[in-house]
Amino acid sequence: MFLFVPVAVMALAASAAAGDRIPVGPADFTPVLAPAPKQTQVHVAAFLVDRTPVTNAQFLAFVRTHPAWRRDQVPSLFADGEYLSHWEAADELGRSARAQQPVTRVSWYAARAYCAAAGGRLPGWYEWEVASAANQTLADARSSPVWRARILDWYAQPGGQPLPPVGSQPANFYGIQDLQGLIWEWVEDFSSLMVSGDSRTQGDPDKLAYCGAGALSAQDRENYPTLMRIAYLSALEARQTGRLLGFRCASDVEGVP
Amino acid sequence: MKMRVILVCLCMIWTTAPRAAELPGDSLYRLDISLQTADGTTRMLSSLRGQALLVTLFYSQCSSVCPLLTAQLQDIDRKLTPQARRGVTVLMVSLDATRDTPAALRAFKDEHRIDDPRWIVARADATGVRLLAAALGIRYRELPDHTFDHSSVVTLADSDGVIRASSTLGLRGADASFLQTVRSIGEAAAATRLGDERLPRPQ
Repeated sequence: MFLFVPVAVMALAASAAAGDRIPVGPADFTPVLAPAPKQTQVHVAAFLVDRTPVTNAQFLAFVRTHPAWRRDQVPSLFADGEYLSHWEAADELGRSARAQQPVTRVSWYAARAYCAAAGGRLPGWYEWEVASAANQTLADARSSPVWRARILDWYAQPGGQPLPPVGSQPANFYGIQDLQGLIWEWVEDFSSLMVSGDSRTQGDPDKLAYCGAGALSAQDRENYPTLMRIAYLSALEARQTGRLLGFRCASDVEGVP
Repeated sequence: MKMRVILVCLCMIWTTAPRAAELPGDSLYRLDISLQTADGTTRMLSSLRGQALLVTLFYSQCSSVCPLLTAQLQDIDRKLTPQARRGVTVLMVSLDATRDTPAALRAFKDEHRIDDPRWIVARADATGVRLLAAALGIRYRELPDHTFDHSSVVTLADSDGVIRASSTLGLRGADASFLQTVRSIGEAAAATRLGDERLPRPQ
């Protein structure tokens, strides 16, 4: 009987979340960073991704059912001191955090735990990159100067403004919203993004810091919007949080390998 | 039968609860990671609590920096005092969850003449690797040819699993201050352990 309730709740949460997940792919995609030396493309299997980022209200519901993720109970290994610090209390949003704003100040561990409870997982970087390459009409709008300019405008906005609610921007080609222009988003494999400086050379002793080819090199250096995302993510630690750092969940498509 | 199961459960709660409560918030042993060791046995990462821990990620097919990394770990271990060595467990976890089977890990141990029981060479599933790498701040990625790029960092945790130091190994190996920290944390762990054991074992 005790086991029954959480299972039922989880099933409900999963179906509610899955209903708002949008199919993307499969796609053969040229990511901004070459996946390997002498390789330009990656195959991204079909997946589902949330239409909008996770909101404060959704994360609050999660924290209430999973108190181990309250800001006053989370072990410091899993979240830094600013985790959910903009909420009025450990289980109250208060006036400063609005229900429909994207939840921010969450760590990678917390984002993963939320997605697992919602019957999903964090998207992988390539999945995120494929989905975010779209504009309203094209699946891959990355060569469009308008696409770039719009995102760079967001980067250029002064900080400190309150975040708009999720879903305020038009849906992209797939029907997904807010991939650009709202927040930074965690991805499952953020720690696989290792960016090298251009100055690194064969004889550089720093090279030993990485075992193997070491780092990724950009094959599309003009794509600042995506490179800035990568630079941001590659500098994060898993327990870190940020005022503009949130997430959305994804899941596999049933029956697709 | 049922009663026995319940009793076992109760005992487990009773004996593990106070210990879990004492675990520091930033302890690596908060991670729920199952390790499969080279000898084929399975143990939880948290079972290593009590010893100081030198931990790194590697993979056995690695031909570039990893052999150097292994040699340098052995070098650090050699330079410890006997007392510190008693307090230090060395843990190497493979990034290659698919290909580093226990047999492959045994071959790796043989190749590098790792036979000290304080050395644990193990694999974890892909999620376990990801969680451990995240906690250690190690960045890695699998390439299409199944090699891995990864940062070659050795991390030192104290007997409660709290990270105390880390070292990016270069050509010259670990620096003196890292060695000194390993020595003192290892000695502290060994001393605590001796205190725990009411009857000292014959040397």
